[in-house]
Amino acid sequence: MKNSSFKREMLATLPSLRAFAYSLSRKSDKADDLVQDTMMKAWAKQDSFQPNSNMKAWLFTILRNEFYSQMRKKGREVQDSDGYFTEGLAVHPSQHGLLDMKDFKAALDQLPDDQREAIILVGASGFAYEEAAEISGCAVGTVKSRVSRARTALKEILQVDGESDYGPQGADASVTSRAFAR
Amino acid sequence: MSNNSENEVGKDASDPNRAIGDKLRSYYDSVQEEPIPERFLDLLERLEEAEEKAAVEKNEE
Repeated sequence: MKNSSFKREMLATLPSLRAFAYSLSRKSDKADDLVQDTMMKAWAKQDSFQPNSNMKAWLFTILRNEFYSQMRKKGREVQDSDGYFTEGLAVHPSQHGLLDMKDFKAALDQLPDDQREAIILVGASGFAYEEAAEISGCAVGTVKSRVSRARTALKEILQVDGESDYGPQGADASVTSRAFAR
Repeated sequence: MSNNSENEVGKDASDPNRAIGDKLRSYYDSVQEEPIPERFLDLLERLEEAEEKAAVEKNEE
């Protein structure tokens, strides 16, 4: 039956969809709500899904659009790479040389939305640049540029270049005061 | 997805890039490996039931 196979495919994609929602949204408690909204929207328009096409990309697109649409309704500006601002605190790895998941999430949250989205799609969700471009509704070159900037920013925030000293002194001031726009 | 040649977009600092990539994937995987919360399974069931019900009612017209 068409319905049950749609349902099964959607179910199979859920773990990945959740991970995407958690990575994309800054408030983790809202991530599952976002997934729920996405599932309902997807269900309602299941007729528009081409069987045998990429369900994961289709669902990711719906979720992404839902995320930005909800943010617009809340009146939150969508940050782009030039309008970057931090939501507050500098992030330091909690121990010298060790990065736990919370640190990493906090670092991800500091990226502008478009960069965060790009690096998650390409670096974590397993999409090719072309697929990521379709999901994000932009050019392939734009995705590549965002991924590159995201990597650079994360390296700075997380001090992954190996030679820096960890801790609040120099790193703090530079992270909070420097804009990541280039 | 594992061909790193497309990661040459920026500079060639492949080790830090790989460290970032690994951390990102670990973070992502840690969420993916969580069990699906009940609420999603319930939702799917409800959606399916609602649809079946609507189909039955339609057939009875």
